[in-house]
Amino acid sequence: MIHRIRHLLLFLAVFWVGVSGALAAEEPEPVILTATAEGKNMNEVMLALHGAVVGHNYSFVRQQAIDSRLVPYGQEVRSVRLFYFCNMASMDRALRLDPRAAQMIPYRVTLVETPTGVDMMAVNPAWIAQGLGNPVLQADAVELKRDYLSILDEATL
Amino acid sequence: MRRAALPLAILLAVLPAPPAWAEPLVASKTASMQQAIEDITLAAANHDMVLVKDQPIDAALKKRGFGDPHVRILFIGSETAVRWAEAADPRLLNLLPLRLTLVARDEQLTVMTDDFEPWLREFTEEPARRLLKAWQVELREVLDDFAWQ
Repeated sequence: MIHRIRHLLLFLAVFWVGVSGALAAEEPEPVILTATAEGKNMNEVMLALHGAVVGHNYSFVRQQAIDSRLVPYGQEVRSVRLFYFCNMASMDRALRLDPRAAQMIPYRVTLVETPTGVDMMAVNPAWIAQGLGNPVLQADAVELKRDYLSILDEATL
Repeated sequence: MRRAALPLAILLAVLPAPPAWAEPLVASKTASMQQAIEDITLAAANHDMVLVKDQPIDAALKKRGFGDPHVRILFIGSETAVRWAEAADPRLLNLLPLRLTLVARDEQLTVMTDDFEPWLREFTEEPARRLLKAWQVELREVLDDFAWQ
């Protein structure tokens, strides 16, 4: 009996050291992914983003001003817009893995128009997943992050 | 049994501390999804916030042949939050409007916020930090209000 308990404890120790070590060894992820479309206006970047997300097998969901429904339509800020997109299969998988994955859903890019172009920002899904501590979700989130980076990059061209 | 306790003690002494996995703010009660949405809308209004968007991902997934995740996302916000974020640190705009995730399980409806703790670890400077804390407090109050209704 004692032998069995010892074996169980040893197994637990190895498992725990493995999981903790793997998580500790992860590269720290940046919170925000960014890109700048120099010399472009908001509409041009929106259009480019639309093409980029569709090209990466995502669907456009909607776009809105940052203060949409918070102020009358005519008074909405024109320089900050939210661009939402999704992929039903990856959303379904993420939510089945962990309902807290909703923190990444729907996928989103925040656009800020500046005098020289448009800055794009997205919360890094790999950073969110690191905080959730779910290794299975982490792998999907890293893949999603790669797509975000490609999409942002394409939208700057 | 005492012999087994020794390796356990050694094990506990040498094991690394578990990673600091923060948890989002949470409130639960017995309610349907629709009732919960109405209650949250009211709770948000009590705290000068409005429901900006009901994102019916449960219905959207079902419509496309996926299983019902029994998850719905709501976005609530206020103009003040937007203006403060613009002034404090535009990166905080990524958190707005504030997200609430509704999860239905066995007649129990759980509402979760985004997890603010990792954000607080990243944003150590004022006024961004103060703003994050203020949103955390506001959301806690909205969730408490929701739970008490």
